[in-house]
Amino acid sequence: MTNNILLNILLLAPLTSALLIFLLNISRRYTKQTLYTLLALSGSGLSAMIALYISYTSYFEQKLFVSNLFTWLNIGDFTIEVTLKADALSSFMLLFVAPVSFLIHIYATGYMDKDKSYGRFFTYFNLFIFFMFLLVLADNPIIMFVGWEGVGLISYLLIGFYFDDIQNTYAGNKAFIVNRVGDFGFLSALMLLFVEIGHGGFSYDAIFFNLSLIDTPMLSLIALLLFVGAMGKSAQLPLFVWLPDAMAGPTPVSALIHAATMVTAGIYMVARFAPLYNIASDVSLFIAYIGGLSALFAAIVATRQYDIKKILAYSTISQLGFMFMALGVGAYSTALFHMFTHAFFKGLLFMGAGAIIVAFGHKQDIRELRGIRRSVPTIFIMMLIGSLTISAIPPLSAFFSKDAIMGILYASDHLDLFFIALLSSLFTVFYMFRMIFVLFFSENTTEPSKNSVKSMNYPMAILTLLSVFAGMLNLPEIFGGNLMMSSWLDLADKHFVFSHANEIFLMSVNTILICFILYYAYKRYAYKDTILKESTTGLVANKFYIDALYQLIIVKPLYALSFFFDRKISHDLIDTSINSMALNYKKLGKLFAFFENGNVRFYALYMLIGLVLGFIYLFLLLKAML
Amino acid sequence: MLKAYMILSIILFSIGVIGLISRRNIIVIYMSIELLLNAVNLSLIAISGDIGNASGHVMSLMIIAIAASEAALFMSLFVVLFRKKGSLDANIFDILGNKDD
Amino acid sequence: MENEIVFSVLAVVAVVSAIVMISAHRPIDSALSFIVTLISVAALFGLVNATFLFVVQIIIYAGAILTLILFIIMFLNIKDENLPEEKYKNRWLLVTSILILPFSVILINLILGSDIAVNSVINENLGTIKDVGLTLFSQWILPFELVSILLLVALVGSVTLSKRKD
Repeated sequence: MTNNILLNILLLAPLTSALLIFLLNISRRYTKQTLYTLLALSGSGLSAMIALYISYTSYFEQKLFVSNLFTWLNIGDFTIEVTLKADALSSFMLLFVAPVSFLIHIYATGYMDKDKSYGRFFTYFNLFIFFMFLLVLADNPIIMFVGWEGVGLISYLLIGFYFDDIQNTYAGNKAFIVNRVGDFGFLSALMLLFVEIGHGGFSYDAIFFNLSLIDTPMLSLIALLLFVGAMGKSAQLPLFVWLPDAMAGPTPVSALIHAATMVTAGIYMVARFAPLYNIASDVSLFIAYIGGLSALFAAIVATRQYDIKKILAYSTISQLGFMFMALGVGAYSTALFHMFTHAFFKGLLFMGAGAIIVAFGHKQDIRELRGIRRSVPTIFIMMLIGSLTISAIPPLSAFFSKDAIMGILYASDHLDLFFIALLSSLFTVFYMFRMIFVLFFSENTTEPSKNSVKSMNYPMAILTLLSVFAGMLNLPEIFGGNLMMSSWLDLADKHFVFSHANEIFLMSVNTILICFILYYAYKRYAYKDTILKESTTGLVANKFYIDALYQLIIVKPLYALSFFFDRKISHDLIDTSINSMALNYKKLGKLFAFFENGNVRFYALYMLIGLVLGFIYLFLLLKAML
Repeated sequence: MLKAYMILSIILFSIGVIGLISRRNIIVIYMSIELLLNAVNLSLIAISGDIGNASGHVMSLMIIAIAASEAALFMSLFVVLFRKKGSLDANIFDILGNKDD
Repeated sequence: MENEIVFSVLAVVAVVSAIVMISAHRPIDSALSFIVTLISVAALFGLVNATFLFVVQIIIYAGAILTLILFIIMFLNIKDENLPEEKYKNRWLLVTSILILPFSVILINLILGSDIAVNSVINENLGTIKDVGLTLFSQWILPFELVSILLLVALVGSVTLSKRKD
C-alpha cells in the first residue's frame, strides 16, 4: 500500500477548490470575484507546480509515483483499486496538461471578468482539471473511464455555459450525444476486455501481461471499439461534428478543453493501449487512415470558414488527425510529441482569438474583424507566431513534431498517408494565413471596443515562448538532439529506418512548399477583399454536407422514431391503456357501489340471499349425511 | 296438527320476509315485521301445546311485549321521519351510502 | 276433524290476508287486512287451548298495536302523493318470492319428513291464565322484570323522539 502525498494533492487540489467555489457560489450571492480567482488559481497553480515536479523527477530520476487511494470494488476475485500512477506517459501528460490548465486559468480570469456566472465557470473549470488528472493518472481503464466521462460532462456543461441562448444548449447536447457513441465503443471494449481477461486483474500492467490470452479477431474488435471511443473524444471522422459546434462555449473552454487537453484524451488512450495496437496492426492502419482523412477533410473545410473559432476548431480536428496518423503507423511518441506542441500553439491561438473576441465586442466573424493589426499589436505578434508554428516553419516547435510525423509516414512505406499528410499540412498553412491576412493585413480598420486585459496577455506570452521552444524537448538526431522525450516515454514504438539525407530532403521540400503556400495566401488575401467574394455555396463551404447528412440519416429518423414512440406508443398505447384500466376500475367500482347504495332494504335482500344460499348448503349437507 | 301449524308458521314467515324486502312503504315494512313475530309466536305456541309445557306461551307473551314496545317506537319514528322528509318511502332514507355520484 | 276444518279455514284466511297486507298499495288497506291476519292467528292460538295468549293477542295486537297504526295513518294524514311510487312493486314481490322459495320449501320438506310427536302429552290446564302465570312468575321471573324495563325504555324513547323539535 503505497500512498504518495504529492499525487494525492495534485489530484485533490483542483477538486477542493472546485468544491469551495461551488459552495461559495451557491451559498453567497455576492461573493467578491477576487475570492473566486484566488481559489481557482491556487487550486490549479498548486497542481501545476506538483505536476512540474513530478515530471521533472520522472524524467531525470525515472521515479515512479504511485498512490493507492482506496478499493472501489471488490467482487469475488475481481478488484478495482483506485490507484494513481504517474509513470513516464502520465508524467508527460501532466507536464503539459497542468501548466496549460494553469495558464488558461489565469487567462480565463481576464476573459470572464465581471461575468455574472464567474463562480460557476471556475467550479466547472477546476472540476475539469480534476477529471483530466484522474483520466491521465488512472492505473486501470475503469478509473480512466471515470475521468473520461467526467471531462465529457464538464465539456457538455461548459459548451452550454451560456444557456440563455438555446443554440448553446443544443451544441452542448450535440457534443454529449456524439460522445455517447464514442463512449459506447469504449465501454464495450472494456466489457470485452473484462470478459476475456478480467480474471487476471484490470490494471494496465495486468491487461498488457494477459494480452496474449485473447485471440486475434477479438483483440482487433477490442482495439477497434477502443478507437471508436477515441474517435468520439478526439473528434475524428465520422464523429467530429460536435467539435465545431462546441465553440459555443467561452473561449477559455475552447482553448483548454477543446484544443489542448480533453480532445487529446483519445490520443493518450490509444498511446496508453500501445501494446494492444501493436498486435492489432489492421486496426492501427485503420486508425492511420481515419486520422489522415480527418486531417485532410478538416483542413479543407477550414479554408472556407469565417468564424475565427470554427477555423481553429477544424484546425484542431486536422492536427488530431495528424496525431492519429502517427499513432496508426506505430509512432506513439511522435504522436504524443505533436500533441505536446499542439497543446501550446493551439492554446495560444485560441487565447489570441479569445482576446480579439473580447477586445472587439464579441465579434467572431473574420470578415467583420479586418485590419486590426494596429489596434492589438501584441495579439497580432503572438497570433502570427502561433500560426507560423502550426504551419511548421522551422525552427518553431511544430516543425519538429510535424516533420517527425511526416518522416515517419514516409519511412513506414505508407506513401498515400504521407501525401495526405503533406496536403493537409499545406492546407493548414493556407487556412491559417488566410485568417491571419484577413484579420491583420487590410486597409480597413476596426476599432477595439475595449483595451486588452493584462491577465490575458501574460499567459499568452508564456505560451508563445513555449510554442517556440517546446520543440527542443525532442530534437531529432540530425539537429544534434537525441530524441530525449521518446526515450523517456519508452513506449512500444515501431522503429523505421530512415536516412538523414532523406529526412533533410523531405524537410526542405516541405518548408519550400509551405513558404510557397504562404506567399500564395498573402497574394490572395492580404490587402484585398477576396474574402468577401468567396461564395458560400458549394461542397467545401457547406462542410461537405456532413452535418446535413447526419441531420438527414440520423437525427430526422430518430426524431420520427421518438415522435412515433411519444405519440403512438407512449401516448396512444400506454397512456390510453392505463387510463382505460383506471376507467374500467372505476366502472367496476360503480358496479359494486350500486349494490352498496345505503338502502337498508337492499341490505336485507343480500341477507336473504345469503340466508337462502346457506340454507341450501346446509340442506345438501344434511342430505349427504343421511 | 303440529306439522300443519309449523308449515303455516313458515308460510307466514316467508310472506313477512317478502313484504319486508319488497315494499318501500315503511308502514307496510313495520307490519311485515309484526307478521314475522306472529309467525314465530304461532310455532312457539304449537310446540308448547304439543310438549305440554307453558314456557312457549311465556315466550310468546314476551314477544308480544317486545312487539308492543317496538310499536311505540315505530310510531314515534314514523311521525318524526314523515315530518322531516314528507314521505314514507324507505328508499329516501339511504344516508348509509356514498352520495358522491 | 272439526279442528282440521277450522284450522284449514283459519290458515287460508291468515295467509290470504297476509298476502293482501304485503301487496296492498295503501297502508290503510294493509293495516285492515293485517287485523284479519292477527285475528285468525289469535283464533289458531285458541285452537290449541292457548286461551290466555288468544286473549292477549286480541287485546294487544288487534286492539292496541293495530289501532295505534291506524291512528298514526290518520294522524299523519297521508295522501296518495306522499306514498312511495313503487313502480316495480310486483317485480320486487316476484323476485323475493322466488328467492325465499328454497328456504320455505326446504323447511317444509324437513318438517314433513321429520318424526316429531303429535299430541304426545295431554295437559288440560295448559294455556290457561293460571298455568301461564305460574310458569311466568316461577321460571321466567327475571326475563319478565327485564321486559318491564324494556317497556319503560321504549316509553321514554318514543316520547323523546316525538317531542324533538328540529
